[in-house]
Amino acid sequence: MDFELTEDQLELRQIVHDIVERECPTSLIRAVVAGTEDAAGLWKQYVDLDWPALTIPESDGGIGFTAVESVIVLAELGYVADPTPFLATTTQYAPLVRECATDGVRSELLGAVARGATGAAAFARDTVSATADGDGWVLSGTARYVVDGDRAEQVAIVASIGDREGGGDRDDVGLFVVPGAEVQASHDVTFDGSLHLADLALDGVRVGADRAFTGAGVADGVARAEHEVLAGISAMTVGASQRILDLVLEHVKERKQFGVPIGSFQAVKHLAVDMLVAIERARALAEFAALTIAEDDPRRAVAASMAKAAAGDCQRLCVKNGIQLFGGLGFTWENDLQIFVRRAKAGELLFGSSTHHRATVARTALATSATAAEEVAR
Amino acid sequence: MKLRFDDETEAFRAEFVTWLEANMPDESETGERSASTADVPEWARRWQRTMFDAGWLVPSNPPEFGGRNATLIEQFVYLEELGKRHIYNSFNPQALGIIAPSILSFGTDEQKQKWAVPILRAEMTAALGMSEPDAGSDLAGLRTRADLSGDVFVVNGQKVWTSGAHDADVILAFVRTDPDAPKHKGISCILIPTDTPGVNPRPFGSIVSPDDLDFNEVFFDDAEVPAENLIGELHQGWRVANGSLGHERAMLWLGFAERMRDQLDHGARALREHGLADDPLVHDWYGRSVIDNEALRLLGYRTLAKTRRGAEATEQSILKLFGSEAVQQNALDLFEAFGPDSFDDTELTGPFNHLHGDSFNASWFERYLRSFAGTIAGGTSQIQRNIVAERVLGLPR
Repeated sequence: MDFELTEDQLELRQIVHDIVERECPTSLIRAVVAGTEDAAGLWKQYVDLDWPALTIPESDGGIGFTAVESVIVLAELGYVADPTPFLATTTQYAPLVRECATDGVRSELLGAVARGATGAAAFARDTVSATADGDGWVLSGTARYVVDGDRAEQVAIVASIGDREGGGDRDDVGLFVVPGAEVQASHDVTFDGSLHLADLALDGVRVGADRAFTGAGVADGVARAEHEVLAGISAMTVGASQRILDLVLEHVKERKQFGVPIGSFQAVKHLAVDMLVAIERARALAEFAALTIAEDDPRRAVAASMAKAAAGDCQRLCVKNGIQLFGGLGFTWENDLQIFVRRAKAGELLFGSSTHHRATVARTALATSATAAEEVAR
Repeated sequence: MKLRFDDETEAFRAEFVTWLEANMPDESETGERSASTADVPEWARRWQRTMFDAGWLVPSNPPEFGGRNATLIEQFVYLEELGKRHIYNSFNPQALGIIAPSILSFGTDEQKQKWAVPILRAEMTAALGMSEPDAGSDLAGLRTRADLSGDVFVVNGQKVWTSGAHDADVILAFVRTDPDAPKHKGISCILIPTDTPGVNPRPFGSIVSPDDLDFNEVFFDDAEVPAENLIGELHQGWRVANGSLGHERAMLWLGFAERMRDQLDHGARALREHGLADDPLVHDWYGRSVIDNEALRLLGYRTLAKTRRGAEATEQSILKLFGSEAVQQNALDLFEAFGPDSFDDTELTGPFNHLHGDSFNASWFERYLRSFAGTIAGGTSQIQRNIVAERVLGLPR
């Protein structure tokens, strides 16, 4: 396997890094959290730079980059605790639409994303159901902790199909795309104020037939979109963890005790190295998940679970060692460490815990693990 | 970034596999087993020679040294295929992996013919004399003296952890030739035949068993070694040592990755047999190890690509640290998973592989113990953390 980023990919990473470092300082995050500013200005800059279009297919009006470029960008956005709807729009809403919507509608909706329209996604098949009603559908139920659920222009909702009378060649899950304005949404106040979350009340929301996708293959499309969701949020968590490590390194090189920088103590060094190893492990797996998605390799499902589990291990260690190594100076609201601690932890709570995904990986491996001899024969 | 190597590399892989399957020794020939890392049974010597003659022993070497001028990536896929099949290309691995490359890198043409070629052809076995009782992680503190007197070095002192020394024909030893110079600058590298009067290896049992005789103390008592056995320049042995360890580290991670995959495969089978494959508690640690294994390979591939570009791959220490600790954690989890069944240390935990070392399918207890070789030898995990902290993270010494 050739597992090295290309020159172009490294350049993309550097460009995004430089721009968000300049345009998304922690002062902006603090203002967003305090409610004195919103992320609209920053989002407009992303749109002017064509970032939402990066991973939209060329045939739908986008730039046509792959999931690999997506995780590269997301890691950099995690590094600054990005407060915009980028994560939800490009790794949750757009993949669902791309994988599930029929051709004409898909191009229309994705073309809008490429031009800067925002989207959110509710993976709510357990709590939202759809019932056929005339030539459209009616939703009922609620979806909690939907990223950007109360401020996206469009919301894609994965719901179970209650009424199976339509019958025939159909999965029991559908995708329903509704304008954000038609959804009753309430902003969730959580420990991570820069990751915008909302609860959606969907009782009685009507969806026209042209925005309802219920054919065969939708369940598979949703699963494929979920792989991208996991790769995206994993990359963002890795980015936040990397920022924690960088802040720690800056601190332990500066801070002196007993006449020397505390970073010269082995006890400090070893904790920092363990953070680095966890980050490298998780970053590699996020990129691998993206690569399997980009090449549509059959390992994409397990690779996505590996990425999410490793991102979980990574944030857990980086937050723990990060707060510890900062000592009292990190135990303040004033220190920027808390911003990235919050983002790293938020990633763990969404789309399945690391424990959940480890178990998924293990079940797959224990069910399919071939002996080396069998592998040779393959 | 691609999931597969390019077509040329895959063609190279296929060519090797075809050759391998046509030429590897049959199980009926391999009854005599190796007892140490320098004990090479006659059949294994023939096998190594067959590979040498066909240019498949070290593909990246030129043909006169058992290769075919293969690229780094080709050399890698070659090792991957051997590992996957559990085939040793040499039962004297330190000779093939460290000693011969050191002679080829630093020796004269005459020395290459006199020492490297016989070692590569398994006509001569070799051991590596680095560590001493008071020079482990601080290797440059070594004290074994070699005083040049006329046309001989007179060697006095002691080495330890010298794998296979009692079965080896020659020891590549690092010795102090200038006691007055700063410690890195007074070291030389010499080849010491083990039949030299005054060279006395004493094997000792490892933590695995009193009968597991690979490690040696080697005592040197006025041993006279021809001055022409100097490898590299006088007092420049530290360069050779760094080169040697460089050879050792370049693809070291692949060894950990192969070990990890074996443990996961053998473990999966055992977990199923013991009715533990549906236990959520097992899923947690088994899943973590599957993920470790994948991450180790990915990071290894990345380092490989970097090395190919000629970039300095500071990740070697990260890979060694991560790989060895991942293998160890997994071996421990597997050992403890089977309760009293793990008392049965005669039970093989994996299939017997006739072209491989027998420790790779030993009991889980033995595998766990042997995993410490990974976290201790070649720079302990603690030393690796120091190296990574200083060279990668830029923390002060």
